[in-house]
Amino acid sequence: MKIIVCVSCVPDTTTKPTFIENNSKLNEQGVQFIVNPYDEYSLARAVALRDANPGSKITVITVGEASTEQNIRKALAAGADEAIRINAKPINAQYVAKQIAHVLKEIGFDIIFTGKESIDYNGGITGNLIATELDIPYTHSVTSLEVSGNEAKMEREIEGGKEVVKSSLPMVLGSQKGIGEPIIPNMMGIAKARTKPLTVKEPIAVEIPTLLVTHELPKPKGAGKFFKAEGNVQDAVNQLIESLSKEAKTI
Amino acid sequence: MSVLVYLDSANGALRKTAYEAVAYATHLGQEVIALAIGNIENTQSLADMGKYGASKVYHINDEKLKTFANAAYASVIAQAAKELNCKTIVFSASSIGGVIAPRAAVKLNAGLLSDINVLPKVENGQLIVGKTVFSGKANATFSLSGEYNVISVRPNTVKPSETGSPVNVETLNISAGETDFRAVAEAILKTSDKISLTEADIIVSGGRGMKGPENFYLIENLAEVLGAAVGASRAAVDAGWRPHSQQVGQTGKTVSPTMYIAVGISGAIQHLAGMGTSKVIVAINKDPEAPIFKVADYGIIGDAFEVVPALTEALKAYKQKIS
Amino acid sequence: MGIISQIVFTAVFLGAIAYFILQAKKLYKFIHIGKPLDRSDNKAQRIKLMRRIAFGQSKMFTNVPVAVLHFILYVSFIIINIWVAEIVIDGIFGTDHVLKVLGGFYDVVMAIGDTLAVLTVITCAIFLIRRNILKVKRFSGREMTKFPRTDANLILIFEIVIMLAFIFMNAGYIQRCESAGQQYAGMYPFSSLIAKAISGMSTEQAHIFEHVNWWVHILGILLFLNYLPKSKHIHIVLAFFNVYYSRLTPKGKLSTMPEITDQVKAMVDPSHTPADMPERLGVREVQDLSWKAILDAYTCTECGRCTSVCPANITGKLLSPRKIMMDIRDTVEVSGENLLKSIDYHENTSLLDRISHEELWACTTCNACVEACPVNIDHVTSIVDMRRHLVMERSEAPAALNTMMSNIENNGAPWAFPPSDRFAWADGLDIPTMADLTAQGKTPEVLFWVGCAGSFDDRYKRVTRSFAQILKAANIQFAVLGLEETCTGDPAKRAGNEFLAQMQAMMNIQTMNNYGVKRVVTACPHCFNTIKNEYPELGGNYEVMHHSEFINELFKTGKIAVKDGAFQGKKITFHDSCYLGRANEVYEAPREVLQQLDADLVEMKRSKQNGLCCGAGGAQMFKEAEKGNKEINIERTEEALSLQPDIIASACPFCMTMMTDGVKKKKFENESIQTQVFDIAELIAQAELITK
Repeated sequence: MKIIVCVSCVPDTTTKPTFIENNSKLNEQGVQFIVNPYDEYSLARAVALRDANPGSKITVITVGEASTEQNIRKALAAGADEAIRINAKPINAQYVAKQIAHVLKEIGFDIIFTGKESIDYNGGITGNLIATELDIPYTHSVTSLEVSGNEAKMEREIEGGKEVVKSSLPMVLGSQKGIGEPIIPNMMGIAKARTKPLTVKEPIAVEIPTLLVTHELPKPKGAGKFFKAEGNVQDAVNQLIESLSKEAKTI
Repeated sequence: MSVLVYLDSANGALRKTAYEAVAYATHLGQEVIALAIGNIENTQSLADMGKYGASKVYHINDEKLKTFANAAYASVIAQAAKELNCKTIVFSASSIGGVIAPRAAVKLNAGLLSDINVLPKVENGQLIVGKTVFSGKANATFSLSGEYNVISVRPNTVKPSETGSPVNVETLNISAGETDFRAVAEAILKTSDKISLTEADIIVSGGRGMKGPENFYLIENLAEVLGAAVGASRAAVDAGWRPHSQQVGQTGKTVSPTMYIAVGISGAIQHLAGMGTSKVIVAINKDPEAPIFKVADYGIIGDAFEVVPALTEALKAYKQKIS
Repeated sequence: MGIISQIVFTAVFLGAIAYFILQAKKLYKFIHIGKPLDRSDNKAQRIKLMRRIAFGQSKMFTNVPVAVLHFILYVSFIIINIWVAEIVIDGIFGTDHVLKVLGGFYDVVMAIGDTLAVLTVITCAIFLIRRNILKVKRFSGREMTKFPRTDANLILIFEIVIMLAFIFMNAGYIQRCESAGQQYAGMYPFSSLIAKAISGMSTEQAHIFEHVNWWVHILGILLFLNYLPKSKHIHIVLAFFNVYYSRLTPKGKLSTMPEITDQVKAMVDPSHTPADMPERLGVREVQDLSWKAILDAYTCTECGRCTSVCPANITGKLLSPRKIMMDIRDTVEVSGENLLKSIDYHENTSLLDRISHEELWACTTCNACVEACPVNIDHVTSIVDMRRHLVMERSEAPAALNTMMSNIENNGAPWAFPPSDRFAWADGLDIPTMADLTAQGKTPEVLFWVGCAGSFDDRYKRVTRSFAQILKAANIQFAVLGLEETCTGDPAKRAGNEFLAQMQAMMNIQTMNNYGVKRVVTACPHCFNTIKNEYPELGGNYEVMHHSEFINELFKTGKIAVKDGAFQGKKITFHDSCYLGRANEVYEAPREVLQQLDADLVEMKRSKQNGLCCGAGGAQMFKEAEKGNKEINIERTEEALSLQPDIIASACPFCMTMMTDGVKKKKFENESIQTQVFDIAELIAQAELITK
């Protein structure tokens, strides 16, 4: 089985983003990039799938500049067999999907894992776009995956419940937490990752009619109204209800 | 030119997000055409879309399209957009609309933005839309310049209001290709969540301060009085106290309810990212220095185990008084 | 003695000796199943240590009455060799009290021996009572069942029987001589009393009586000799070796794994090609231990001093450091023979079949066990080595520690805080960074290493600011690294992730060496310990001081002073940080600093070397405590509050958190508690403010 895991490198979750060039770009100075958490879930499930299907291979693919290689090595340390880096800045989901789809058409695929979203621009669409470019099915926010033969059975998260989805292979899925526990690479994995193949490919030219114009930080909030429960809980509770009903009008 | 709005439906009924999508589309300053696919039992509800701003409502009730399949729905909607000359297509960024939108966008080679949470503008013929990025830590504005543009709107972004009157519902005959059914839903499994987090108007969340899963009944009781959904912080989920489906924050759900009540949640940056856009934030925490108070509009500094039961009782009394 | 008796004795004696030599050889080989470890250095220091701790039993004397009793047994063990020599000569050659030629000296030796024999019997009886009737707590525990319990009693009974036989033998000898009208050799203050009791015996009868007891005595000794290698009691021999081969580095220093350094170098410098990774990292099987760790296990006499001071054990957790030693020994016992045939033998060799993850993760690495052990057993090294295996080879750390480690990897701190906020504590304070000063061509006297808690924890940021205020008041030219600082690696290292710890160390060392840093001061004992003890092997050599030492020096050199009576009438108790105290033996500096405050300093019962951990060391800060019946910090807080202090002073960010939380919880139960927790720097800064 040809297993593909699409990996996106995103700012660490603690990052307080700031912006440069008229607020059009993220200021990457001092920002630590990590493997997108949802891609880690993907990778974990992919490794188990590979191990259960002898002869399978996991290829990690990313669109990113050379600085992403450190994170790609982490994915290799966690168990992927080889990696492809498409040497370009990931402009947006549509751009990334076209680049990845182009390479995947060359190398072939059976099952393509993406994260349900990346935690930078939170689009949640890249996997679906890749699937559409490749004209194969896509299932979003998948929390469990079982593959037998040419068919996959998945559970995906929907509002207020889960949906059981059946899909034929090849297919793309967007992993949600629960599909696999992120793998903490052991030392052997880290040592081996150093020599696993990492191929760099140049991007194709594509035109995308979506443009990020500007970023801004949310306006800081004014000081809130706080009541102390110490001594008299009932007073504090009544004051809160008074405020919520008269000022905030939320109850 | 018109705007095409896809109406979310499930189990034979329109969803709340369908109304929101129509309400959002009215802000684009064009004729709003609503489109439903699959079985809708209450046809009046389709006609009622007129009340919320749709000037036309189409329904595609193909037998094959009864169960949701994003690829099939996407190709049908893309064809409909072409036939009806709609250059902008609006979806809800729900688990239904949200997964059709990108697919339709590729079919139409369209500009695309998902999970929008601010009202649109049109400048120099370009559609200007915005959303939160970095899981709520920043906002970003995008311009879409495709011949077609596809957008999906985050639940709770607009409140639908009745402004017009019902319209006729017309049937549209478009069918999907055979290969569009390679991934289909087989069954729905309900979880215990009574109200879905992303769509809830009010959310009550508990964190590490709840000390253990056995104490979450306090959160549930409060939520019940408020008709709220129950959420949890990453700490509570990682400790195995609550299911991941209830996790609010980065790597969990990003929510923007009208009111968010955080109980025993200190307010790590990852949590703030996921609920920072809530309209009113209420914090209940022992520690007055907890970062949650920096973003809270209201709060009680005190022990959750005393405050929450008292608040629940007082709210019950208050609700009885006003009803 | 008849010739037959002589032949029989000679045969028995030589047989017993031969068998003992066989057993000793086997023991030696079993110990050397362990991996090589060089402890051939510092001979003079090692001999001194052995003299003090093994011969002088210095560590026993923390409990004087028990130490005295134990000393009696120890001395009689030494003295016994003199009369045994005589017995052996008599037995082989048929002589009678051959050493009486020593004359007056013989009298003295026999008088001492006789007295010791009686004292030994009494002592052993007391010990039996302590174990079986008074049921002293440290002799119980889930590992103290079956053989270990029998073993202990058996040894005591053995000793009683041997000594009683000795006394009776002497009484018989006295009566034999007396009734024959001869003068007996030697002096026997106690046996002579027994002799009076049997004064009715004829010479012949007394001779038989003497002879029987002679045989009981010597056979007892020979049997005992051969029982020793099968028993915990072998400590009477191994203790000397174990102490001689002690780890001489500060207790807080964990070993540096060179195979990991090699890998880290390859990460930092792609041109470096590392050697193949060993298949085993850390310790899983007994053959992964060092020979010293196995020697530790064989030296353990199951006295339970370690377990009785272990904060995890005290609070009902599964960990018992004694059990770890016993498990190691038991594992070697069952697999040793096979391992000697082939080191690739893997059945019943895994320590983790006996030692659970729960036990390993309960350790706070506070070193109370190591401190308490009278024979210098190093439990913590073995525990951490097993953690290293779980984490680096198996990726089996508790989830919370994985989160901590990915935080370090991703944002440079064990908590998830934005790295861009690291220097936020200094907002508005005009604190110079190394980068600023270097750009201006200046070199500060000292680098103030702030640490992650000092940078991000709201409570500890106040300590950071207080210390910066003191430095400024003393006109010290200092600088901080600001955003260039990152976690020292301490929690990762203690959690067993040597790789991550060394990555952090390498980064920090590179940063500090680039600035030519010579002196470092920090308010975090964990940073202090790591930079001071663990960085040198990785190329970071600095003079490192804890802020308590630094402030103390400022007082001593007159660079700062506080107004008299600033805290007069206030009762302060100081809680020792394990990583400052036991780990690095800094006990006096923080106390001397506190003395400047004119306050009423009171000590907790468990203080200094015997201080009780707050519960947060060894990466415990970042995980839930293992199952037990109490939180460690509550145990410690209760001890502190029992003194009714106004202030609990601490000198460590983790202690600060744990004690503050503990006091908060106790306040919840009892609102009248007014005690506050402050860092020593805060107290000085508060006092300082009064003087200005």
